[in-house]
Amino acid sequence: MLFATLEHILTHISFSTISIVITIHLITLLVRELGGLRDSSEKGMIATFFCITGFLVSRWASSGHFPLSNLYESLIFLSWALYILHMIPKIQNSKNDLSTITTPSTILTQGFATSGLLTEMHQSTILVPALQSQWLMMHVSMMLLSYATLLCGSLLSAALLMIRFRKNLDFFSKKKKNVLLKTFFFNEIEYFYAKRSALKSTFFPLFPNYYKYQLIERLDSWSYRVISLGFTLLTIGILCGAVWANEAWGSYWNWDPKETWAFITWTIFAIYLHSRTNPNWKGTKSAFVASIGFLIIWICYFGINLLGIGLHSYGSFTLPI
Amino acid sequence: MPSPTCYLLLNPAASRSHHRPRLPLPAAAPPRRLVHVSCDARRTGGGGGGGGVKREAIPAGTGKAKKQVVFFDAAPPVSQRGGGGGGEGEGEGEGKVARRKKENAALGLVRRLTKRTLSLLSNLPLAISEMFAIAALMALGTVIDQGEAPSYYFEKFPEDNPVFGFITWRWILTPGFDHMFSSPVFLGLLALLAASLMACTYTTQIPIVKVARRWSFMHSAGSIRKQEFAESLPRASIQDLGVILMGYGYEVFTKGPSLYAFKGLAGRFAPIGVHIAMIFIMAGATLSATGSFKGSVDVPQGLNFVIGDVMKPKGVLSFAPDVFNTEVHVNRFYMEYYDSGEVSQFYSDLSLFDLDGKEVMRKTIKVNDPLRYGGVTIYQTDWGFSALQVKKNGEGPFNLAMAPLKLNGDKKLFGTLLPLENSGSSNVKGISMLARDLQSIVLYDQEGKFVGVRRPSSKLPIEIDGNEIVIEDAIGSTGLDLKTDPGIPIVYAGFGALMLTTCISYLSHSQIWALQDGSTVVIGGKTNRAKLEFSEEMNRLLDKVPELISVNEKKIDSKQSAT
Repeated sequence: MLFATLEHILTHISFSTISIVITIHLITLLVRELGGLRDSSEKGMIATFFCITGFLVSRWASSGHFPLSNLYESLIFLSWALYILHMIPKIQNSKNDLSTITTPSTILTQGFATSGLLTEMHQSTILVPALQSQWLMMHVSMMLLSYATLLCGSLLSAALLMIRFRKNLDFFSKKKKNVLLKTFFFNEIEYFYAKRSALKSTFFPLFPNYYKYQLIERLDSWSYRVISLGFTLLTIGILCGAVWANEAWGSYWNWDPKETWAFITWTIFAIYLHSRTNPNWKGTKSAFVASIGFLIIWICYFGINLLGIGLHSYGSFTLPI
Repeated sequence: MPSPTCYLLLNPAASRSHHRPRLPLPAAAPPRRLVHVSCDARRTGGGGGGGGVKREAIPAGTGKAKKQVVFFDAAPPVSQRGGGGGGEGEGEGEGKVARRKKENAALGLVRRLTKRTLSLLSNLPLAISEMFAIAALMALGTVIDQGEAPSYYFEKFPEDNPVFGFITWRWILTPGFDHMFSSPVFLGLLALLAASLMACTYTTQIPIVKVARRWSFMHSAGSIRKQEFAESLPRASIQDLGVILMGYGYEVFTKGPSLYAFKGLAGRFAPIGVHIAMIFIMAGATLSATGSFKGSVDVPQGLNFVIGDVMKPKGVLSFAPDVFNTEVHVNRFYMEYYDSGEVSQFYSDLSLFDLDGKEVMRKTIKVNDPLRYGGVTIYQTDWGFSALQVKKNGEGPFNLAMAPLKLNGDKKLFGTLLPLENSGSSNVKGISMLARDLQSIVLYDQEGKFVGVRRPSSKLPIEIDGNEIVIEDAIGSTGLDLKTDPGIPIVYAGFGALMLTTCISYLSHSQIWALQDGSTVVIGGKTNRAKLEFSEEMNRLLDKVPELISVNEKKIDSKQSAT
């Protein structure tokens, strides 16, 4: 009961904090001079990170197993992984556009997890025999870390595509979608403005296309790095799963729907990495592949669970035993 | 401005070399005296640097550098290139690779046909379309229900009412998409991909290694400035730069006014490892598919079976090993439960006996903890309710066989009947007993009315229709899966290699060239992966390179910079 209350409090604190952080981001988008607010939003992210960590730890303590046994816990873990991704560049003190992706993503995953849709799953469930293994921790955590990383990377690629074809999107801006577009790319736009104003003062020739080009290059480079990292994690995750399957089910590969889709995801991102070795395909074409990957990850992570088929469906996850 | 001794303290590796030749000033150098710190390459080791001293003429570059004689400190062999031919790192290796391939063909080492097949297979667009096709087929394999009887497909994809207007059962059954993952189309594509992998490794990746292993100096400022990252530092010394680069983990080579440094060479080679690991996994999987045995068996507690009787070969390469004569005895099968009544774990206590009847192994297996003996693995995968031991009015115990009543899904139900009238009558009535697990038995009387629930362990009698029933014991049966798989060691080796090499592939191979051009150092560099981080690192690194001032200014400056 104590743990349940603690978890309840922690999820609520983290969700309210992240909502405030998002609001601050939106305010700084409109009023760019408020540097102090920016810092406070960073602090908010750190506070939320600790809340989520606390939630996971208390789940672990109360249930006695690694808190990744159902969809709700895995969603919380996914947003935790997104925070980690948000933190790493901050620790290394390198400036990048990742926070543009991670902040809205965390609020979406947490919002979905804590929404009414999954209330019956909020309780920690017991582990069926097949899940009682040390591999659970290794396999599932690696998979979710890789999903988080790949989602970020493919969103960066999607952002690249959006900015690349912004001309065509300009006609949306006459309509209401402008606001939506801005919300998604506020950091980019901010960066764009900052760069422009900085260069204006140094009497540089002003080619708006040059900044766009530079921004696209940055996005391309970052999405490549992030996807490479995610691909490595996905490889480790899938292979750990294969070794585990050989322990539990007697075969390292069963063509179970979840496995198959994980392999499809792996193949798509392998295509992305290969397409980058060709200089002509670098940029737009590879970004297109990564954006397909974004959809594939969601099918793999969610679609298969919603259908509840195969051996990997959480919630109703059991061996035919 | 730190003095040279400061540097030696900071970097003891440099001071270890006994012989620090004072480099003769280049002819084109300004009259200002420069501070020199010798920067021996690490490979030369402790004092061995002395042996590597050579005098060598460096061909004049297109830049300002005049022909001059310099000391050559670093020992490793260098591929000398013309000064003007800069901009030829291994990144631009594609052209070189093609050239090398041509040379090979000219030498007649590779036959024309093989070469054409290889170049066709190693074509990147082909490989990418293969991967796309495989991904699409796999997706299709999860959409279409797999492994059903043909009649299922006739019904689901009828000819008179095709799905999407054109998909009939012919589309599915003809290419074998009802069993996608063993269909010839899918396996053929996988084989093609494997061939592409090998061809690509052979024609593209291995030549890149050959190029990348050679490292070269650049002798013209122009070619260095053409690099992705280029900067020139006025009043700096290339030796200082070398020391700083070493501090950042670079391998540094200097030769007169030129410097070459690299880092993360493993990141350049790792993709080959990834490809080789993939081939290993595919080879192992092929061996698994052709050379393994599989079997499953349902054994009541207390009975035994011979391994060889259960196992069925899966392919042409399946040869039965001697261990197949081993007899397996199920000593005990039991389950553990959570407080909520759900099963927490299944256990089977197994003993293995060889031909002489000697026990060779005994282990209690559970899900996630199989038994391995002589290449055979025994998994706990299923369970059943074999029989119920019942005492009626103190007689018995009788063994009542339990019949599975509902097995769809994960909820099982078993039932049995204890006849009360003599078996001669046509209308047999009796006490029905139902059980979902081995823990509790639900009893119904002759009319089918619920009477009570008993646990086998409690030995508590229950009165039904004037009979006293005691449930003595519930005998479970264990469902075991057995297999031998000769492909496992190869597949696991591939798994290990793949994990390791994909991790290493994340490293990026960075190369830096620098040239002392008068008092200015021209620096150029490039990397194959982390481009933004590289330029950030370079900027940070170049900020640390001290600015050189002539001797009379030095004293004042070193005081300032010491703070």
